[in-house]
This record gives sequence, C-alpha cells and structure tokens, in this order.
Amino acid sequence: MTILEVVNVSRDVTWLPWAVQYFFLVGLSVAGFLLSLPGLAFGARSQRGFGRNALIGALACGLVAPVALLADLHQPGRFWRFYTNPNLGSWMAWGAFFIPCYVGGLLAYAWAALRGDLAAAGQGDDLVSRLRRLIAAGGAPAPRLTKILAGWTVVFGLLILLYTGMETMVVRARPLWNTPILPLQFAATAFTGAAGLTLLIARLRGDTTHAGDAVAARAMTAALLATIALGLAWFALGIFGLSDIHARALASVAGHRAWQVTAVWAAAATALPLLLLWLRPPGWAWLVGLLGLHAAWMFRWTVFIGGQTVPKTGAGLYVYQLPLGHDGLLGIGGSLGLWLFVFVLITTLLPDPVASRVRPALAPAE
Amino acid sequence: MPDSRRDFLRGFAAVTVGAAAVAPAGAAPTPQAAVSPDKTPRWAMVVDVAKCIGCQSCTVSCIYENAVPEDSFRTIVSTYEVQEGDRAAMVMLPRLCNHCADAPCIPVCPVGATFQRADGIVVVDADRCVGCAYCVQACPYDARFVNHGTQKADKCTFCAHRVEAGLLPACVESCVGGARIFGDLDDPKSTVSKLVAKGDAKVLKPELGTRPHVFYLGLDDRLTGKVEGEPTLWHPTGRETHA
Repeated sequence: MTILEVVNVSRDVTWLPWAVQYFFLVGLSVAGFLLSLPGLAFGARSQRGFGRNALIGALACGLVAPVALLADLHQPGRFWRFYTNPNLGSWMAWGAFFIPCYVGGLLAYAWAALRGDLAAAGQGDDLVSRLRRLIAAGGAPAPRLTKILAGWTVVFGLLILLYTGMETMVVRARPLWNTPILPLQFAATAFTGAAGLTLLIARLRGDTTHAGDAVAARAMTAALLATIALGLAWFALGIFGLSDIHARALASVAGHRAWQVTAVWAAAATALPLLLLWLRPPGWAWLVGLLGLHAAWMFRWTVFIGGQTVPKTGAGLYVYQLPLGHDGLLGIGGSLGLWLFVFVLITTLLPDPVASRVRPALAPAE
Repeated sequence: MPDSRRDFLRGFAAVTVGAAAVAPAGAAPTPQAAVSPDKTPRWAMVVDVAKCIGCQSCTVSCIYENAVPEDSFRTIVSTYEVQEGDRAAMVMLPRLCNHCADAPCIPVCPVGATFQRADGIVVVDADRCVGCAYCVQACPYDARFVNHGTQKADKCTFCAHRVEAGLLPACVESCVGGARIFGDLDDPKSTVSKLVAKGDAKVLKPELGTRPHVFYLGLDDRLTGKVEGEPTLWHPTGRETHA
C-alpha cells in the first residue's frame, strides 16, 4: 500500500532559535563554572589561570542565557507568571526557580573567587580601579566563602543541567527528544563547548599557558569521547531494537536524506576536534575552540529546530527557513552581540592577566 | 468583512441547529438537548471517516467562528490518496484537538494555563498563558499552535462558547456529509455514546495512552499514527530540509 499525502498543514517551529541560544549558553555556563572549580575553589594552583578564563566564559554565558530564554516567550513581559502561577508538575516551572538561584550563585562565587584579584588591580585612581576596589569590598581572600558559594552554585548548576535535559526528554510527542540519553548528550556537548570557549577566551585575553591549554584539551577530549560513546549507544539501542524508545527516535529521522547528512556532519564535528587535539598542529587551539563551540551549538540546533521539523502526524518533514528578523538570524546575532558586550564588561573590570600573574601573593590563600 | 460573515454564519447556524434538533438519528443532536440539567456532560466527538468528503467546510467555518489567524488551523481535513494494488482511493481524516482524558499538554504547562474543564474540554486560559509553547511540543497530534495575533497557545475548544449556548461546534454544524457527530459520552442515549459503545471506533495514537475523546469510525489502522507516506504536495521546494 502506498499513501500520498495530498492535503495537510505545516506547523510552525515554536521553540525558536532563541531557545537554541538559551540551551547553548546556559549549558556552556554551567560546564564552564564546573571546569573553574579546581583552580578557583579547590586550590589547584596550576589551574587557576584556566579556571579564571572558564569562569569568565561562565559569567558571560550565564548572564546572557536568561535574556535569550525570555525572548523565546514570544512576549517577555509575561515572565512574572512563572512565579505567581507555578505549576510544579512541569520541569519548565522548576527551571524558572533554578535559573536565578544559579545565576545569583555564579555571580557570588565569581565575586568571592576573584575579589582578591580585583583588589590587587584596583590600586590606581582611575574610574576602573575605583570600581574594582568597590566591587572587591576589601579584597581579603575568602577561600571558605568561595567553597560555600561554589557548593550552592554546583547544586543549582546541576539542577540546570537536569531540568534542561528533562524538560526536553519528557516530551513523548517527539520521539527524537524522548530518550533518556538526551540529557547526558546535552551535558557532554556543553562541556565540549565550554572547554572550547575557555581556549578562545584565553587567547582573546592574552592569557595562554601550557598548563591551561592542557587542562582545556583534557576536558574537551573527555567530553568528545563521552559524546561519541553516548551517540554510539543511542544509535545501537535504536538500530538493534534493544530499546523501543530509541528505535522510535531513530525511525523518526533515519529515512530522511537531510537527517542522514546531519548525522555525517555531527560525526565529523565530533571526530575532527578530537583529531586536532591528538595531532596539535600549529594554531590548533583556535580551531579546536571554535569546533567545540560549533559541536555544542549544532547539537542543540539539530535537536530543537531539526526536531520540530519532524511532523507528529504527517508525512515527510516540515520546511524551516531561518527568518532574518528577531525570530531568526537577528535573534542569534543579537544574543551573541550581548554576549560580546558582557564579555568586554567583565574583562574590563578584571585585572590584566599578565599583571595578575606577577601578583601571585594576592591570590586567595588555600 | 469577517464580522458580517461571522454574523451570517451565526444566523445560518441557528437555522441549521434547529434542523438538527429534529433530524433523525445519525445526525448530531444539539448539546442542549442531550444534557440533563443535574449532570455534567463529557463532551466527545465521533468522526465517521466514510462520510467525510474533504470539502474543508469544517476548516473554514472554524476559522471564521474562532477568528483563527492566517496560516493557522484548529481543525483540518488531512487528505490522502491511498493505493493498494491497482485500486486507489481518497481517504479523509479530519483532525482537531482530541480533548484527551490524560492530555499531555496539561502537566507540562509551567503556569497552569492549560486545563481540563469538568465537561472534558481542554482549554487555555489566555490571561495566564505565557506563550512558552511547551504545550505545543507536548501535544502528540500537532493540534496546538502559537497564535500569531495573541502570541499565546491556541487550539480547538470544541467551540465551548457555542456549546455553552446550546449550539453545536462550528465544524459539526457546517459538516456537509454529517461526518462529525458531537455529544455527551456519559449519556447512554446520545448518538456518540451509542456509536462508541459499538466498539469499532478508533482513536489516534492509542499506544500513547492519552485517552482521546475524538473517535473515528472506519479509520484504517495505518492512518491512526504518524502517516508513513509520500510527503504532501504543499512542499514548496520539493526538497527535504531542516537546517
């Protein structure tokens, strides 16, 4: 029997590129924060520079991510209803509480971890120095406070990873999303992106060290290997029929040429940075950093935008063309522009990396 | 003009509701006539696929009745050309919100804007909806959308405003072939409960356990889920793409 679909409708993508930006940025933020812990909260002195760069990335991404999420509400002014009418049976409702707890904790942790650096750099009379002194509020090292705040932020950071994964995973109507591996894939690709972002931030700030690059390379290698393992497990569970859920997920996309191309692209986006991390050719860090970000972003784009082009009842795929306005390209560019602004703001406030390296005594005591 | 057109349809509906009230069994009774005053009904719809001619009058009347914006649909008649051996036939499948007893759109709503009324109709409180579109993702029937005018979730309400006034939903009222039958499933004397009680009515995606309250008579099992067929003709480029 053959069926030709003669009349049907195409449903619009309703989780817009803003949602991709949110999941991308908040994932990078949490992973970057977690990568910063050994150097900034647990006294691994060799990782302090790496930790500082990872934290800068986490801050910039963590501050911009909620803006992208608000924009995806189709009318951001309604966000207050999340707090006045919460339905606590919904993962999204919990997310509305986790986000401010995480971002607040991240800011407090960053302040506690970096206030010594800020105070040391705020010795002059210029406006930035005075601002640094004001923010440092004395600047005495506070390792215990840093650890307490790190603990708070770890809890809510992990809850962010949990809710963003679960929020998508529980949607049974979309077989591609409805697999227990998806939250783990979000987490693994977030670490890939965060390690790549840290490599790039180190270069943008002129704060590259062999030790820092080695930590970033180790983190990204581990994340890429985890991504490959999860991807293979997802595919094997589906293709061999070991799990109905995964078989349905695979079947929902396997027959479409566009998805076959996407699969090859995803495999290349994972294998190529791994190869570069192994070979370390000149300029590897720039390339690997960008590829790491690409892997994290592309995974979310494929899951969210690609996933919404799979009809729930109809045949074929819905067509999606990226709009040029605020719901599309302008939104993506705008959120990246906001990220750049926050990054410049943070790096303007923080001391010059070379100067901070010659003042090691002002680093928080262990 | 939409307003005058709606007024015209309302007037037309009033006349045809009167006709339906005296029509023989098989035609849809008015909800008012089917409900006892001391009992809350459980509204449901039965669609007799064999009677649907794919004229889309339900689609159009729904749009006018509910001011559905351009390019959006609360109901649509999916149309398929099915070929088996040397025989071919057109198959119509009217789609709408299934007003499921275990509606997956309800628990995901972060602000409780989507809820089920006592009479089983799943509705959206537009004052509370934040437009997050989580319910749109959760609906397995692609029955929801974000209204471009209000920027809030939108869907079929079984024309609750008409039902409360004792009228039939606009799609039922306008159905040329009498394919859509609406009534109280809890009333054993209603046409819908008699048709469902026969046991050969089907629902869409039964494996999901959502317990839809839109039932189909004469529907091929191969059309109850995601239809595995040739893509539709509205594809503008003839190519698949998603990125």
